[in-house]
Amino acid sequence: MRLIFTKVQDEFRSEVRQFIRDKLLNRDFKIQSKGIIADCNIEFSKEMGDRGWIGFTWPKTHWGQGRSYVEKTILNEELYKVQAPIGYHFLADRQVGPALIHFGSEWQKEHFLPRIAKAEKGVLFCLLFSEPDAGSDLAGVSTTARKEGDYYIINGQKVWSSEAHIADYGWLLAKTNFDEGISPHNACSEFMLDMHLPGVKVRPLINIAGEHSFNEVFMDNVRVHKDYLVGQENGGFKQIMAQVDYERAGIERLMQNYPVYDQLLDHMKIKQLHNKRAELYEWAKDQVAQLEVEFQTGRLLCYYTAWLIDQGQKPTSQAALCKVFCTQYEQRLNDVAMRILGPKSLIRNGGTGAPLDIDVASCYLWQPSYTLQGGSVEVLKNIVAVRGLRLPR
Amino acid sequence: MDFGFTSEQKMLRNSFKEFFAKECTPDLVRELWSNQRGYSEQLWKKMAKLGWLGLIYDEQYGGSECSFIDLFILFEEMGKTVLPSPLFTSAVLSGLVIHENGSDAQKNSYLASIINGQKILTLALLNHAGELDFHSPDIEATVDNKGDHRLNGSRWLVPYANVADSILLCADVIGPHNGPTLYCIDAKAEGVSCTPIKTLCGMSNCLVELDNVRATPDEIIGDIGSGNVCIEKVMPKGIIMKCAEMVGGALRVLDSTVDYVKERRQFGRPLGAFQAVQHMCADLETLYMGMRLCAYQAASRLDLNMASDKEVAIAKARCSDTYKHMTWIAQQLFGGIGFTEEYHIQLYFKHAKECELLFGDSSYHRSKLADSMGL
Repeated sequence: MRLIFTKVQDEFRSEVRQFIRDKLLNRDFKIQSKGIIADCNIEFSKEMGDRGWIGFTWPKTHWGQGRSYVEKTILNEELYKVQAPIGYHFLADRQVGPALIHFGSEWQKEHFLPRIAKAEKGVLFCLLFSEPDAGSDLAGVSTTARKEGDYYIINGQKVWSSEAHIADYGWLLAKTNFDEGISPHNACSEFMLDMHLPGVKVRPLINIAGEHSFNEVFMDNVRVHKDYLVGQENGGFKQIMAQVDYERAGIERLMQNYPVYDQLLDHMKIKQLHNKRAELYEWAKDQVAQLEVEFQTGRLLCYYTAWLIDQGQKPTSQAALCKVFCTQYEQRLNDVAMRILGPKSLIRNGGTGAPLDIDVASCYLWQPSYTLQGGSVEVLKNIVAVRGLRLPR
Repeated sequence: MDFGFTSEQKMLRNSFKEFFAKECTPDLVRELWSNQRGYSEQLWKKMAKLGWLGLIYDEQYGGSECSFIDLFILFEEMGKTVLPSPLFTSAVLSGLVIHENGSDAQKNSYLASIINGQKILTLALLNHAGELDFHSPDIEATVDNKGDHRLNGSRWLVPYANVADSILLCADVIGPHNGPTLYCIDAKAEGVSCTPIKTLCGMSNCLVELDNVRATPDEIIGDIGSGNVCIEKVMPKGIIMKCAEMVGGALRVLDSTVDYVKERRQFGRPLGAFQAVQHMCADLETLYMGMRLCAYQAASRLDLNMASDKEVAIAKARCSDTYKHMTWIAQQLFGGIGFTEEYHIQLYFKHAKECELLFGDSSYHRSKLADSMGL
């Protein structure tokens, strides 16, 4: 037990920080706390790809670098500190790559992995999992993929698909077994859906922050070649369950609003609140210290989860509880920040008089999504209880 | 970042675990909480013989030169059983105070006897207001014409003062050489009176009153005026050992509760099959994991002599809130049986409250943390 970064890890962190200084902070770059998907900037992603920072944890045999998840967490921590625009490759790097490495065909690996790792054009992915009637209960999807010769014919509707309006591919879960009595867990398959195929229609959904981040996706007799089926037919649900640990474990769940915290601390120091409103300041100090305790706790949980993956363990319960903890911290952060900053924090989009550079009012509006996406807090607690603590179902 | 343990540490943990499982039952804890000695001499001797009182000290005093993490593991395992003993106040707090600040002669005379269990020392920290006041202690020391010091004042809730051979405390020296000064006085010296007080966890915490108690210059540890520094130096390690004990207690709370809700049936199903109960158990697990990592993070830094003010404050703040909160959840899930004297979960409910209030609760440590963040 030595919860200290090694020299090599510290050096890597410095390297990332230097990169960020060179590429982002010295340029005109406005940070903006948003949902889980950061801004897309293919040029920035290419720079990362050139350094081997996409596919960082993938095996060297699969166009990756074979680095540890602890190091990957260091990388992401630094990127999220400044809200780096990693949206172009983020999902493909985190989920599509590992899924293809585990379950993909040779052709799929050769076709997609090197292009994702280099952030080439045409490999922006979105997820097509949730449906109007299948949210937490993902196995209940009703989108169908019926086989016809070498093709699957896809019909159905997906929802909450972030970046679907700009994505090249959708990572799709659809029903492929229609036998009566079959368990829904054995009836779904995963596909990579070319979003430009005829019959795919994307309709924007505007979230409560007024932003177009996610979409509804309609599929009307879309013909997908069988080469785009990932892994086993009807094995899709199990494959997804193996993937979501990676989705949940990341430090991004803790740090989507890091600039709010950072700027709040600066605000308290620079504006010298203590000279003006002593009573408020004492309260604010206590609140911020509590946020710091929670942030550091969440950070340790993230690194621990990463370490478990590096040890070859399946971190299902740990990743779930980590996400529960971290997303709840982020919700509290925005609430506390606005209470400390007072009524002027209601000003949107950094308008005249807004207390921070970052749009804390918008950040507050994003927060209900944190405890929903990637598994709601309640579903995750079920996982901790049933799979972690082995409580009866 | 290494979250694993060495094979030596695993073996060490196993030997602690087996010992406490065999020797320390909830019945024993209850009995020790109801008698004035407050610890089992028999177990104390066994632990001394196993070398556990000297785990982190140099071989020349009879110690075994293990790491601070090894000691953490001992306290974690002991915390699971909430075994009351002078281990913390004598072998950790007093031992460290002397080890870090004492002269060679003082180390030779005190450390060896702490480690072999022959002598019990205790560190008296709290004033009448229940505050840690070692920076300006509320005990006066005057120097008489023979050069001896005369101490007057009181210390509250001094653990095991009733069975201690010596008491370490800070007094404020009045005179040309002045300031907070650390003494190691004979607990049986004339003018020392010691009254056990019944608290949440037993009756081994005492009121110590000093009425013109004589202390010779060789009973001073460190320099006159530097007593606060002497104590400050060991506080982080003391606090983190208390956290280790809390982490151990918390794990037992988690395990006991999860076991109980698997067994106990209502409405024809185990309690643990109800989602409301499952979510409370998931909360227990989440709270436990977080507090444990915070405590180990601070321990890791102390082990390597790194700056650790911030991490220590985070650990004690987190452990204080979390351990207590976990015992509340446990009491709710155990229902009526948990509210009875005979059932063991109540021991943890009390222990968590005591640990929370010792060495500063979460508000105190958040304030320390805010300081270290430059707020």
